[in-house]
Amino acid sequence: MILLGLVVAGAAGALLRYEVELRVRRRLGPAFPYGTLLINISGSFVLGLLTGLAEHHGVRTAVVTVVGTGLIGAYTTFSTFAVDSVGLLQRGRMRAAAVNVSASVVLGLGAAGLGLVVGHAL
Amino acid sequence: MLAIAVGGALGTLARYGVERAVATDAVGFPWGTLSVNVVGSLVLGIVVTLVVGRWPDDRWLRPLVGVGFCGGFTTFSTFVVEIDQRARHGHAGTALVYLVVSLVAGLAAAFAGSMLARGRLPIDVAGSDLPDPDLLAGDDDRPGPDTSAGTPT
Repeated sequence: MILLGLVVAGAAGALLRYEVELRVRRRLGPAFPYGTLLINISGSFVLGLLTGLAEHHGVRTAVVTVVGTGLIGAYTTFSTFAVDSVGLLQRGRMRAAAVNVSASVVLGLGAAGLGLVVGHAL
Repeated sequence: MLAIAVGGALGTLARYGVERAVATDAVGFPWGTLSVNVVGSLVLGIVVTLVVGRWPDDRWLRPLVGVGFCGGFTTFSTFVVEIDQRARHGHAGTALVYLVVSLVAGLAAAFAGSMLARGRLPIDVAGSDLPDPDLLAGDDDRPGPDTSAGTPT
C-alpha cells in the first residue's frame, strides 16, 4: 500500500511542479528560474510543517512517507535547481547564479524552519 | 503529461528505495539524499543538453526523464529539512558539511553532465551553453533580481 501511495503521490508531485513552473514562467519570463525557487521554498515549508507535526503529534508513518517523501519530495527538485544554476553560470550571469543558489538555500532553510516551528506549536 | 507522471512515480520509488537502503537517524549524515541529488543532477545535465542540442523535436525524453524522473528522484525539501534537523539537534557541523557538499557536488555534477553530453554533440552546437531545462527556454540577459538574501553560510 505504501508503494502504491508513493506512485500516486510521486506522479502528482511531478505534475504539480510542472504546472507551477509553466505558470510562473508565463508570468515572469524565462530569464530567471523563479518557478523552481517558488516550488522549492513552498515545498520546504510544507515538509517542515509535516516533520514538526510528526515529531510532536505523532502523525502516522505511512502518511509522512506518502505526503512527505512522495508528494513533497517529487514536487521539489534539486536537479533542476542545480542545472538552472550551472546554466546561468555558463551564460556568464554570475550574479543571477549566486542569487539563485543563496536565495534557494537561505529561503528554503528559513521556510523549513518556520514549518517545523509551526508544526511544533500547533 | 503521462510521461511526467510515469517519470515522477518511478523517480519517487527509486528515491524511496535509496533512502531505505541508506537510512540514517535525524543526526547522521544523509548519504541517501546526497546520492540521489548528485546523481539526478548529473543525469538532468546530460538530458537537458542532449535534448536541446541534438533532439530539439523530442517529445518524450525531457518530460519522462528530465521533468518526471530526475525531478521526482531528486528533492530539495528533504535536503533543507535534514539540515534544519541536524542544526536543531546540536550537529551544526554535520549540517554545514552536508549543505556545502550537496551544493558543490550537485552543481559540479550538473556541469559534468552538460560537458559529457556536449562531447557527443555535433560541432555547431558544441560551444553553446547549457540551455534552460524548461520547455519555453529563452536566453535574454535580463539581470536577476536583487533579493539581498545573503550568503548561505
